[in-house]
Amino acid sequence: MQLLLTVNGMVHEVEARPTARLLDVLRDQLGLTGTKEGCAEGECGACTVIVDGKAVNSCVMLAVQARGKNILTVEGLAPDGELDLLQQKFVEYGAVQCGYCTPGMLMSAKALLMGNPVPSEQDIRIALAGNLCRCTGYSAIVAAVKAASGQEAVPLMELPGDAEELAAEVTTDPETLAAACEVAQADAGGPLGAPCDSDGPPPASEPEGGE
Amino acid sequence: MASTQVLTPTSVEELVTALGQATPRTRLLAGGTDLVRAIRRPGGEPDLLVDLTGVTELASVRLQGGSLRVGALATFTKLQWDPLVREHALCLSLAAAQVGSAQIRNAGTIGGNIANASPCADGATALTALGAEVTTVDGAGATQTRPIGDVLLGPNRTGLRHDEAIIEFTFPALGAAHRSAFAKIGSRTAVSVARLSAALVVRFDAPSGAITDVRAALGAVGAVAFRAPELERALEGRLADEKSARIFAEGCVAAVRKSIPGRYSLPYKQHAAVGIAYDAWNMLALSAPFEPAWD
Repeated sequence: MQLLLTVNGMVHEVEARPTARLLDVLRDQLGLTGTKEGCAEGECGACTVIVDGKAVNSCVMLAVQARGKNILTVEGLAPDGELDLLQQKFVEYGAVQCGYCTPGMLMSAKALLMGNPVPSEQDIRIALAGNLCRCTGYSAIVAAVKAASGQEAVPLMELPGDAEELAAEVTTDPETLAAACEVAQADAGGPLGAPCDSDGPPPASEPEGGE
Repeated sequence: MASTQVLTPTSVEELVTALGQATPRTRLLAGGTDLVRAIRRPGGEPDLLVDLTGVTELASVRLQGGSLRVGALATFTKLQWDPLVREHALCLSLAAAQVGSAQIRNAGTIGGNIANASPCADGATALTALGAEVTTVDGAGATQTRPIGDVLLGPNRTGLRHDEAIIEFTFPALGAAHRSAFAKIGSRTAVSVARLSAALVVRFDAPSGAITDVRAALGAVGAVAFRAPELERALEGRLADEKSARIFAEGCVAAVRKSIPGRYSLPYKQHAAVGIAYDAWNMLALSAPFEPAWD
């Protein structure tokens, strides 16, 4: 079926399957793959987009239901390539680890800030309750949202200042598995517990005291 | 297999026309938070999908002649914040605030909550305590109003015909002397399906300290949300004191035992009922908060 969708301020005419989800059309037809599919049942929030100012799960909304509405995806936060303040704070506060939940987190946080520019920590946690993150433990994300709303926020840790400085500390760069094992053994000060060649695991040691 | 046809009515009149084409395999789509998952399961694809979300006139809340009229398409976010709901049906606002996540509350509707007929539906518990009636329209254009108990028949089972759509819920607006509360427990503190929910409505006579017009409903404990008439009678006219709080808690436990005798979840839920009862009771703010005496 023919649908007119306004996504990130641009009107798109798409020919969609009648039961296509908004998520499917965004990713597969409009190429907006910033929006992620996680659980596909409205639990994890990875697919969160903003529809008419409200955060929704695009995996449990059909594309037809978004007809004529204003849809904002994570791509719309940085239309000219320059990061939105919220995104900058996510970077600054280390609120991104594996990154899979990040687009959804950003969109839930963005929807919150659009309606409530100075949210309390409780407000932030309620707004993000439908976005699961298995990496960060959430604290850095909450701090980033706080910071993006101009409130004082405590960074969890000092981030490494200069990646090149860190890289300079790397003194060995083994090119084979055997060489890597030597480095690791030297570092560990003794033999490793796992096999160091490709012949499979070492034979099981005899249980002490026999039987 | 023939592809699903989608109709997008924008008025009740167009909705009636759409319902006229409905078959037993037709699905009515509101917020989609339950239905979109269901139609993606093998064999779940409907012949006709009627998207109700364009019928915006069904998304309002109105106060009319002492009744609160809640449109079927009102979202949980709407019900959570709507001033009329907060003033005249606080337990419904409190229930809406505890449904799923912000994303689910922004999309999910009270009509969908009832039509989906999950035994755990938070909206069902609140509407049952409020004594809600359900108004529907069908493919012939006929409207019908019946008690919510005649619509909720069992897990995912309703008394609605395939060409019948819920358009509105109506119940007596709670006045200034009324207090209402909703409490639930799930497997975690937020974004959780209820394992037990309770809604309580009372009329509080401040000078005498007595409660009347007591209405108590439990949900997620048995096939459908239900009122507990014995418990209501036991509390009717009593002073809002600690003894009454205990009677309420004991009544909730008794209702849980009666509803799910022998069920594997009974040992948990009869214990949880005490906490839920005190949560709801304390939310009424009739007196200093009470703590349950755990045995």
